[in-house]
Amino acid sequence: MRIDPWSLGIAAVVAAFALLTLGVWIPADVESGVIETFRRRTVIGDAMAPSAAVIGMAAAAVLLAVSGFLKPRRKEAAFDGQSALFVVQLAGVIVAGLAAMTYTGPLAVDAVNALGGAIGSYRELRDTAPYKYLGYLVGGAVIVGGAIAVVEQRLTRGAAVAAVIATVALIVLYDVPFDDLLLPPNGDQ
Amino acid sequence: MGILDHVWLGIVAVFTEAPVATVLGLPISITVVMVALGFLGGIVVGATPGLGGPFAMAISLPILITIFGFNPDALLPVLGFLIGIMKGATVGGAVPAILFNTPGTPDSLMTTLDGFPMTRKGEAGKALRIAHFSSASGDTFSDIVLFTCAPFLAITVEAYLDFPEKAALIILSLAFISAVVGDSVWKGILAALFGMFAAFIGTGEDHHPRLSLGSDALAGGLPLISVVLGVLILGEVFAALEDMWREKRATDAIAAQAAGGDDRLKLRDIRRILPFVGMSAGIGTMVGALPGIGSTLAATLGYATGRRLHRGEVRFGDGAPEGVAATEAANSAVSGANLIPVLSLGIPGNVAAVFIILATETISGFNPGPAVFRLTPDQVNAEMVVAFGLFTAMVLANLLNWTIGGVFMRSMGIMVRIPKQRLLPIVLLLTLTAIYAQRPEMLSIYVTLFFGLVGYVMRRLRFSVLPFVIAFILANNLEEAVRQAFSATGADPWFLFSSPISIAFMALAALVVVFFARGRERKAI
Repeated sequence: MRIDPWSLGIAAVVAAFALLTLGVWIPADVESGVIETFRRRTVIGDAMAPSAAVIGMAAAAVLLAVSGFLKPRRKEAAFDGQSALFVVQLAGVIVAGLAAMTYTGPLAVDAVNALGGAIGSYRELRDTAPYKYLGYLVGGAVIVGGAIAVVEQRLTRGAAVAAVIATVALIVLYDVPFDDLLLPPNGDQ
Repeated sequence: MGILDHVWLGIVAVFTEAPVATVLGLPISITVVMVALGFLGGIVVGATPGLGGPFAMAISLPILITIFGFNPDALLPVLGFLIGIMKGATVGGAVPAILFNTPGTPDSLMTTLDGFPMTRKGEAGKALRIAHFSSASGDTFSDIVLFTCAPFLAITVEAYLDFPEKAALIILSLAFISAVVGDSVWKGILAALFGMFAAFIGTGEDHHPRLSLGSDALAGGLPLISVVLGVLILGEVFAALEDMWREKRATDAIAAQAAGGDDRLKLRDIRRILPFVGMSAGIGTMVGALPGIGSTLAATLGYATGRRLHRGEVRFGDGAPEGVAATEAANSAVSGANLIPVLSLGIPGNVAAVFIILATETISGFNPGPAVFRLTPDQVNAEMVVAFGLFTAMVLANLLNWTIGGVFMRSMGIMVRIPKQRLLPIVLLLTLTAIYAQRPEMLSIYVTLFFGLVGYVMRRLRFSVLPFVIAFILANNLEEAVRQAFSATGADPWFLFSSPISIAFMALAALVVVFFARGRERKAI
């Protein structure tokens, strides 16, 4: 009999989460209890549903661990070092893309103002072309081009062009026909 | 007013409301246009490897809401478009499976087994025609079952089920979905309970939003669309990107595809495949009516049963037209029947149904569930009119499928040339943009990415994401039913066992879990 280590690991994490939630999170962050009696009327409180859910999760985790003792070990790992490397690379691309999306527009406006343009703040220009497109265009192209580069393991001119064209196409699809739709990050400005 | 009056009003609503053009003196309504656009778009998406109906539904929903707004007039055009995509994607998925041995959608995997060998024998055209004929037949049969069963099931539920029984029915549905999908019953249950727990964050009846950690962002609850699209779409995108990344590292190449041929479909071919189409349509419809099972299992069951019945010269797996017919009729027959639990019980059974629920949650005026088919003397039930309008839209999509669907489908072989490693990053940006369009704050993008990571990790750890998503959607309905049942029975702690029907539902839930758990363990040892 061989033990499935992934089932055991998942069960341990879920059991720890359930204990913490039942012991700390729910008592500290839910106003009413599991059952409340108010003016002789007994009702279910807000703590009942999440408590039942985590108790059920803990029970399912225990049963998963038990089944882990019965199942033969799988040949391939569910999540290995290669997966972690991929996640880090893709997360880096997405974080860089979102940062570019958020800051390119305001930085461009600040630069124009610094050069004597006196065009006002980015907030005032967030629905004015070309400023409203800058962040999305740069950030979107970084996300698309970067993700292609991660998968292809090199950045080609074709991938970069595809990323810019795709981002422009999305601007045309989402922004140009609709007056009341905002591209990211303009709704937050 | 009777049911037939509502049927007529539904048909009238689809064909006459908000005409946008006139053809030969006949007004063409916006719903008709949207069904056609959705259907053709669905074929394109289905024919593109790496995409599928859910991608298109996720991306188009915010645009549709922006165009049509949130009032009840938007229901039929928006739902018609989504129905069109659902049906079109099912047909389109067979194209790359047959021409290039690449399933456009997961449920077309079995189509490759005989479809691609037919292409290699120079019978690609015949294989595509068989796939289209079988798919349209299975879909039409399934829709007829939906139209006849859903209203009666809903009326029965409304007449006989009170709060305790409704709570027990939701528990039974969740237990069933958790037990039948994925490779472990306990993982399915764990995923469903995790989905419910996530839905409880920031909700409740107290003044203080529970489990919100004092954060304003969590106080309103996790946004439904961010959670659903994150887990379903981004999780799948991340996992598929990693698969290609690993393939590139291992072989220094990402698999490319080749080209196909052409042939005719004759009357004797249709006679030959008809028994397989009929049998698979029945299997697909039965499977589709059960929540959570989905079209992939229907296709597998249809193919396996067809192989057992087949007595022809060409064996299944060597390019038998009956193999293509058995698979395509089965997976297409799921699409109509899987709306039975949504429309009659308010319980989404698969991903496409989740998007129908998302649309109705966003637009006012239609709450899928037993009340949709409630008849009140001398009054029009507007929800029932929408339901029959939806059925009319499905019939319309089927008519389009029978007339122009085949020709359009056969012209879509070109979509397979789009490299998946370039398409999926665009889908990633498209999904984030769609989320932002619906809820314009960066927080919604961060929440979507977080749940995309959750969906990716779940896939890697071999958890099915469907129980998570469906439990997230149903959690608050279940809690409400449980609260009301508890109050209605005078705080009886055994309220879930207070009537023979609720006892039967709870016993069935336990039986389903035990049955599938024992079966899986025996298979695993």
